[in-house]
Amino acid sequence: MINDTLLMMLIVGLIVSFAILGMFIWGAKDGQFDDGDKMMDGLLFDSTDDLNDAVKKEEKIEESKKGQKKSESPE
Amino acid sequence: MGNVKCDHCHLVFDDDVMIKDNELNFCCKGCQGVYHLLKSDGLDSFYDKLGNKTISPPLDVHDDVIRFDTKSFEDTFVKNTEDDYKQIDLIIEGIHCAACIWLNEKVLYNTNGIISADINFSNNKAKIIWNDEKIKLSEIILKIRSIGYNAYAYDATVADEKAVKSKRDYFIRMMVAIFASMNIMMLSVAKYTGFFTGIEDEIKTYIHLGEFILATPVLFYSGWIFYKGAYFGLKNKILNMDFLVSSGATLTYIYSLYILFGGKGESYFDSVTMIITFVLVGKYLEVLGKKSAVDTLDKIKSTIPLEATIVENGVKKTLALNNINVGDIVEIRSGEKVCIDGRIISGEGSFDESSLTGESIPIYKQKNDLLYSGTINNDSLIRYEVTKSYQDSTLNSIVTLLEDSLSSKPEIEYKANEISKGFTVSILTLSLLTFLIWYFFGIDLGFDYDGASSFEKSFIVAISVIVIACPCALALATPIASLIGISELAKKGLLFKEAKFVETFAKADTLVLDKTGTITKGELKVKKMRIMDKNIHKLNLLYSLLDASTHPISQSIKRELLKKYDLTLKDLESVKNIQAKGMIAKYKNVDDKLFHIVGGNLELMKENNIHYNFDSLNSVYLFAINKRVIATFELADEIKEDAKELVLDAQNNGLDVIMLTGDNNSVASAVASKVGIKNYVSNIDPIGKADYIKKLRDEGKVVVMAGDGINDSVALASSNVSVAMGNSADITISVSDVVLLNNSLKSLKQAFKISRRTYKFIKQNLFISLFYNLVTIPLAMAGLVIPLVAALSMSLSSLLVVANSMRIKIKD
Repeated sequence: MINDTLLMMLIVGLIVSFAILGMFIWGAKDGQFDDGDKMMDGLLFDSTDDLNDAVKKEEKIEESKKGQKKSESPE
Repeated sequence: MGNVKCDHCHLVFDDDVMIKDNELNFCCKGCQGVYHLLKSDGLDSFYDKLGNKTISPPLDVHDDVIRFDTKSFEDTFVKNTEDDYKQIDLIIEGIHCAACIWLNEKVLYNTNGIISADINFSNNKAKIIWNDEKIKLSEIILKIRSIGYNAYAYDATVADEKAVKSKRDYFIRMMVAIFASMNIMMLSVAKYTGFFTGIEDEIKTYIHLGEFILATPVLFYSGWIFYKGAYFGLKNKILNMDFLVSSGATLTYIYSLYILFGGKGESYFDSVTMIITFVLVGKYLEVLGKKSAVDTLDKIKSTIPLEATIVENGVKKTLALNNINVGDIVEIRSGEKVCIDGRIISGEGSFDESSLTGESIPIYKQKNDLLYSGTINNDSLIRYEVTKSYQDSTLNSIVTLLEDSLSSKPEIEYKANEISKGFTVSILTLSLLTFLIWYFFGIDLGFDYDGASSFEKSFIVAISVIVIACPCALALATPIASLIGISELAKKGLLFKEAKFVETFAKADTLVLDKTGTITKGELKVKKMRIMDKNIHKLNLLYSLLDASTHPISQSIKRELLKKYDLTLKDLESVKNIQAKGMIAKYKNVDDKLFHIVGGNLELMKENNIHYNFDSLNSVYLFAINKRVIATFELADEIKEDAKELVLDAQNNGLDVIMLTGDNNSVASAVASKVGIKNYVSNIDPIGKADYIKKLRDEGKVVVMAGDGINDSVALASSNVSVAMGNSADITISVSDVVLLNNSLKSLKQAFKISRRTYKFIKQNLFISLFYNLVTIPLAMAGLVIPLVAALSMSLSSLLVVANSMRIKIKD
C-alpha cells in the first residue's frame, strides 16, 4: 500500500514539474529570457497601469496585423 | 547656497548654475524641456521608477535627421516585414536603468504609426517596426531625441541573429539539465539513505524509474551538444573532451538502463546528469562572452558615418561612402568624424587622433597633411582630397581586422584535452579487454550475482570499468581550480572573462605593454608651476581663459590652480582659439582698463611679440597679461607608480617585457629606461602593433598584451591573452580577456602570481584524478569493485579534486 502511494507521488510530482519545465521552455522560446537585465527589473513595474499598458501593446500589434490584411484583401 | 539636485537627471550641481522653474531646479534647458514634456504627456511616473538613480542630461544633437529618410540609408538599414511594414534595428544611447527602457518603450508605443518597439536592456539595442505611411523614420528618431536619448542605426548582421539564437538554445538546454539534476538529487538522497538503512527492491526500482525519466532528456536533449562536438571531432580525427564526456555519459546510461530492467546493482543516472550539467554550464558562459563581443562591434560600426559631403565643381552633394572615389573632394565640418582617408587641400585645424594613437592631445594639421579615418575634426571647416577608397581606409580596415581576429582568436588547449585523448582510448580498450577476458576465460574472482550468465557478468564488470573511470574528476580538474583562481583574482580587481586564460597567463613568456594609458597615466599633469605675480585678479583672468578651452592642457592646469587658489570666473571678451598654440582674449575691468591676455606655448608668445626664454623637454604653457609673462607651467605624462615594480617582477620570472607605442622615439626611450624596459618599439600604428604581436606568436611565444585604447584593440585581439585597463574604450574591453578594474599595474603583477599558483593546482588535480584511476581501474577490471564502493569512489574522486582546489585560497 505504502509503496503504491510512493509510486503515485513520484509520478504526480514528475508530471507537475515537467509541466512547469514545459511552460518555462515555452517562455524561453518566445524570447522572454533573452534579456536578463530587463527580465529582472521588469518585475518592479507591476502596477495596474503597467499591466494595462502591456495588454494595450499586445492589442495594438494584433490590430495592426488585422488592419493590414483588410486593406490588402480588396485588391 | 549649496548643492541642488536637478529634477530631471538627478545630477547634483551648485545652486547658482541651476535654472529655476517655480519650485523646480534644472541643470540645463534640455532637462527642463524633457521634464515638462513628460509631465504634459502624463509620463511623470518615470520619476517614481527612476528613484534615486541618476541619468545623463539630454544630449544636444544637431545633426540632420533628414538623412534617416534618404534612399542610401534605407537600403543599408531598413528591412520590410512580411506585413509590409518597415523594420529597423537601433542602438539607443543614454539608457541607464529599467526606467529609461520603460519611458522609451512607452513613448514609442504611444506614437501613432509605430507597430512595435522592443528595447533590450543589456545591450541597448532596439527593434522598431512602423508603418511608413503614417510616420517617417526621421520623426521616430526625433521622438527618441525629444525625451533626451539618441538613436543610431546598426546593421543587424546575420552573425548577430545567430548569436541570439544560439544563446537561447544553450540557455534552454542548460535549464533542462539543471532542472533534472536538482530533481535527481532529491531522489538520490532517498536512494543513498536506503543504502545504509536498507531499502525494499520495489522502492529502489521506483527511484531508478524516476531517475531514468529525468536523466533521459538531459542526456539526449541537453547533451546533444556533446554528441555533435564528438562527431565533428571524430570527423577531423580528434578524440576531444566532448567525446570523453558523451561516451562516458552514454555508457553509464546504458549500464544504468540494464540495472533498471532487472539487473542487480546500482544505477548511475545521477552521475550522467551531473556530468552533462556541469560541463554545459561552462559552455553557456562561453557563449555569453561571444555574444557580448558581437554587441560591441555593432556599437563601433554604428558610429561610423554612412555618407560624406563631397564637393564637385563647386556643388555640394551627399554620397554614400562606398560610392566615393579616390580623387573626390570631401568637406567636413567641426565635430565631424573623418570617415575616409585623404589629404587636406584647404583649411587647417586640430584633430583628435586618440582613437588611432591613444594620445589625447589634438594634432594640428594644415594643407597637404594626411587625414586618417576615425579621427575627429575638432574645430574647423576642412576640404580634403580622398586618397584611399572606403574599403582601404584606416577605420574600415581596423573594423575588418577586429572581426577577423574575433572569429580566429587563438584557441588555448586545455591540458585536460591533451590527456583526454589518450585517456579515452585506453579506457575503452581496457573495458573491451576486460569483457573479452572475463567472457572467454571465465575468470571469476569476485562477487557473485545469483543466476547471472557468464555474458551478463562480463558485461557488468566491463561497464563498471568505464563507470569507475568516469571522467568526473578529470573533467572537473581544470575548471574547478580555474574557477577558484578566478574568484581570487576578482578580489584583487582582475576580471577574467574565461577560466582558460588563467592557464595561458601562467604559461606566458612575453609581456607586451602599451605606453600611454598603460605604463603612463595617459593624462598631462602639471610638473612645474611658477607664478611670478600672485595677484588674485590676474589669476582669475588666467582661470577664466583656461576655463574657455576643453584642451587637455588647459583642463589640467585649471585643476591644479583650483587646488591652490580660490578663483572666480570673469567675463572675457573676444576669446580666440589659435590652433594648437593657445588662446588670446581681452578683458575690461570696472575702471574700463583693457587687458590683453595671452595663454599658450612659446610659439604663440613669439607671434604676439612677447619675448621669453624657456627651455624644457616637456609641454610648456605660458600666461601673459599685457605682454608680461606672469606664470609658466610645465606638463608631462606621469608614469604609474607601480610600473617599475611590475616590469622587474616580470623579468625576474623569466618574461620578456616589450613596450609598444605610437609616440616618438625620444619619449619612448625616456619612459622605457625609467621603468627598466629594454625592448621597445616606437612610432608604430595600430596595425603595426598587431603584426608585431603576430610575429611574436609565430616565433612560438605566448604573449600577454596590456593596453587601453582603440588603437590597441587589434593587437589585443591577436595576442594569446589580452588585458585591458578598466578605463579603456568599450571596444578595447570587449576584445580583451582580462580587465584590470582598478587600472593598477600592481594587480597585473598579482595576476601573474595567482595564475601561476592556480596552474600548479590544475596540474595537481590532474595528477590526483589520474592516480585515482590508476588505482581503481585495475580493481574494477578484476571485478573487485562492489557497487557501494563504486558509488562512493565516484564522488570521492570529485571531492578530492574540489578540496585540493580550495587550497588555492589559503596563503596570500
